[in-house]
Amino acid sequence: MEVQVDKNKENYLKIILGLLSMTFMIYVGSTIFKKVRVDFTQENLYTLSKGTKSILSKLDSPIKLKLYYSKTAANKGTEGLRAFNNHFLYVQELLRQYVGNSRNNLSLTIIDPRPDTPEEEDALVYGLKKFNLTETERYFFGLVAENESGTEKIIEFFDPNQKDKLEYQLTKLIYTVLNPQKKNIGIISSLEVMTEDLSPYMAQIMRMQGKNVDESWMISKMLGEFYNVKSIDKEADAISGVDTLVIIHPKGFPEKTLFAIDQYLMKGGKLLVFVDPLAVSDRSGNTGAISSSPDIGFKKLMDKWGVEAKGNTFAGDKYLSGIGRFNPNMPAGRLLALLECNEQCTDTYKDNITSGINKTTFVYPGVLTTKEIDGVKHSPIISTTDKGNSYIAQNYELNNPSALWNKFSEGSEPVVIGYRSVGKFKSAFPDGIKKDVDKDKKDQKSKKDDEKKAVLKESSKESAIVVFSDVDFISDQFAFKETFLGAAVANDNSTVFLNSVEALTGDIDLMSVRSKGRINRSFDVINKIELEAEKRTADKVKEINGSIVRFQNELNQLGRKANDGNIAVLQNEGVRKKKELAKKIAILKKELRMVKREGREKIEGIGKFFQYLNTLFVPLIIVGFGIFYSRKRSRLMQGRRIVKTEDSNTEKHSNRMTEVNI
Amino acid sequence: MMDRTVKHLFMKEFSSYFKTPLGYVFLVIFLFGIGYLTFEPGRGSFFYMREASMSSFFRYIPWMFLFLIPAVSMRLWSDERKAGTIELLLTMPVTIRQAVIAKFLASWAFIGIALAGTFPMIFTIVYLGNPDLGVVFLGYLASFFMAGALLAVGGFFSALTKNQVVSFILTVCVSFMLIMAGSPPILDFISTFLPKFFVDLFESLSVLNHFDSIERGVLSLSNIWFFTVMITCWLYGSMILLNENKAN
Repeated sequence: MEVQVDKNKENYLKIILGLLSMTFMIYVGSTIFKKVRVDFTQENLYTLSKGTKSILSKLDSPIKLKLYYSKTAANKGTEGLRAFNNHFLYVQELLRQYVGNSRNNLSLTIIDPRPDTPEEEDALVYGLKKFNLTETERYFFGLVAENESGTEKIIEFFDPNQKDKLEYQLTKLIYTVLNPQKKNIGIISSLEVMTEDLSPYMAQIMRMQGKNVDESWMISKMLGEFYNVKSIDKEADAISGVDTLVIIHPKGFPEKTLFAIDQYLMKGGKLLVFVDPLAVSDRSGNTGAISSSPDIGFKKLMDKWGVEAKGNTFAGDKYLSGIGRFNPNMPAGRLLALLECNEQCTDTYKDNITSGINKTTFVYPGVLTTKEIDGVKHSPIISTTDKGNSYIAQNYELNNPSALWNKFSEGSEPVVIGYRSVGKFKSAFPDGIKKDVDKDKKDQKSKKDDEKKAVLKESSKESAIVVFSDVDFISDQFAFKETFLGAAVANDNSTVFLNSVEALTGDIDLMSVRSKGRINRSFDVINKIELEAEKRTADKVKEINGSIVRFQNELNQLGRKANDGNIAVLQNEGVRKKKELAKKIAILKKELRMVKREGREKIEGIGKFFQYLNTLFVPLIIVGFGIFYSRKRSRLMQGRRIVKTEDSNTEKHSNRMTEVNI
Repeated sequence: MMDRTVKHLFMKEFSSYFKTPLGYVFLVIFLFGIGYLTFEPGRGSFFYMREASMSSFFRYIPWMFLFLIPAVSMRLWSDERKAGTIELLLTMPVTIRQAVIAKFLASWAFIGIALAGTFPMIFTIVYLGNPDLGVVFLGYLASFFMAGALLAVGGFFSALTKNQVVSFILTVCVSFMLIMAGSPPILDFISTFLPKFFVDLFESLSVLNHFDSIERGVLSLSNIWFFTVMITCWLYGSMILLNENKAN
């Protein structure tokens, strides 16, 4: 008995030890092998890009990442809120990748801030976005990055709609923690983009006096909120102390300025360039003359970058053309000159500058082409759809919408209006420029009539240039709208501008962090049916409205014919027509309901078909197979039984055989 | 590659699922249930989501397995022990290790058949949109791994008791614990009386965490390690139990 008890104890001990060792093995193995993984997703959602890895490799001091996610609150919330759990898992997984690639410099803490706890207070102090779910329950989903010296940067809220940009956001956050100082942006332009700002009071007085008040462009004011912005003189000899140089409508720059820009680039400076074959925002020139850029001087620079902007050539797209008018007397219509870019223009390129942009309005955008330059990589960032094309138009045709449409034909390839070029560039002034020296100095240095500047013939390090073939899209007229609260953003134009500056101001590695891209996984078949139904509905509605208009016209005509003699007859006629119309409208409305119902029923039919297919089809096959198989088996068994019974009769072993069959 | 004895035993065990109506009943209930839950009217429903992915389908797999797997595994050993055929089996030139492996593989293959029966779901998403088939494949792989781990647990409890119902209930309880091990309410509760290290240790046992990780489209060595260790350890436990019970 005692031996039995000991044996049982031993067994229990074995099982407990086995469970413990299993737990430890799993724990240790999971920790060690976590890094070895294969990402099977089409978009490589869980794989960090080279740029991110490169930035992480530069980390040399610890950074704490605190991911705030109100998981408990989300689980208590609505179905919609619970859907955020999936995005949280994605963010968490990606952050773990960051930690895994940081050589232990990043640490991740996941915090579920419950109401009235220090964690919740911290989340509020950090400035994370909060959503009140109930009186007490608050929802947070943000990230705080903190370095040793106390620099904090946050992502106040993770928007699931920006899933494709998540890696860029996270890498940027880490980059800004590493480089917290405000960056310097220089703006050089042939237009009055930055003026000496008057006080609002003075500006108001000047306006009241009927004077023109030159104000800085809104985009330069917006830029000032995030960066130190300074205006670079059009005749600058040298450009320094600037992280990114914004060049708007480059024309008429003297050679020394072009040389300064060239040398700035050679030193590793970054350029954001806006050229335009027709800048409607430039009102400085003579009436009737068109203002275009780049001029010959600047073209020389662009040639060295491998980017060409064609003169008098414009990008158009029938399917992206906007509705507008050239002057108030014209009826509004589709204008080829207005290019309203949506996600079709950007999705293919998966670039962080344009990713997620779905409404950017360009005005007479030009066409950019590139040529191969050793060590330079050109990537398009925005274009027309593949049905877009380029067209050449002369000055006198530009204000005539129908003339432009006549020149346009549908293309088969996208026309690029924004390029990003990264690499080591060659100087457009390899021999420098000749510099005039003051006469008195000339006397002192009589041996030298000219003096050559020290010239960098090639970029000392990798640099980047972003070029757009439109200037107007960042002007106040097309990027902003007036509201009673002041100017407000009208579309995504200013976002494209700010994204470009942001991308250029960061590290080259940060620029190479691509957007993951979005692959449309919606039900195409259903969408198609819905679109078809919508189209047919719209046609029916149009038909009904047309009938009503025709009836009104007929009534009006009758009214005009009316006189004392025939008024009674016409009244009867009117009533008869009204009844006819009512009948016709009733029939059309019935048809409209039918069309709507047909579409709905078609979708519901598909839904039901797949529901039955997935719930009943295979089970029915299995039942059928089961019945068939069991019948076959029973027939087989019966056959065997007969054979075996015959055998048993001869061999007299019937009892054993029956047992076997059972 | 497979031991001949194991192969024969595997074939015998596997075919036995289709010799009784029980196997068909399990398959039909599973396939009907998972289909119904995927298309159930509601906000999480496949048609409501309008996304050509199988997330609505895989979401319910752990909960369907919670009952299907214990139902399949309960008869692995309990039945043999109750009917007394285990003695007969062990008198044959078959080692316990071979018997355990063969029975486990047969039941795993049976679950594989059940999963394969959901193939219309793949046709559905391919017809309706543009799915990420890599992720779909991993979803099935995750389901198959999870089935293996839970079957190993079920086999252990089946070897522990002669009573199929007890085996079923014990397997459901432990499977539920393993599925829920990573969920915040359970971890919160445990963290009230255990230090963080032990909470992490407990969390690492979560089948659902590993299932979710693979189902999202990332296959990590730690996931494979987890399922391998789970299956091996529980099968080893079954072998110890059967060895001990052999003497009784």
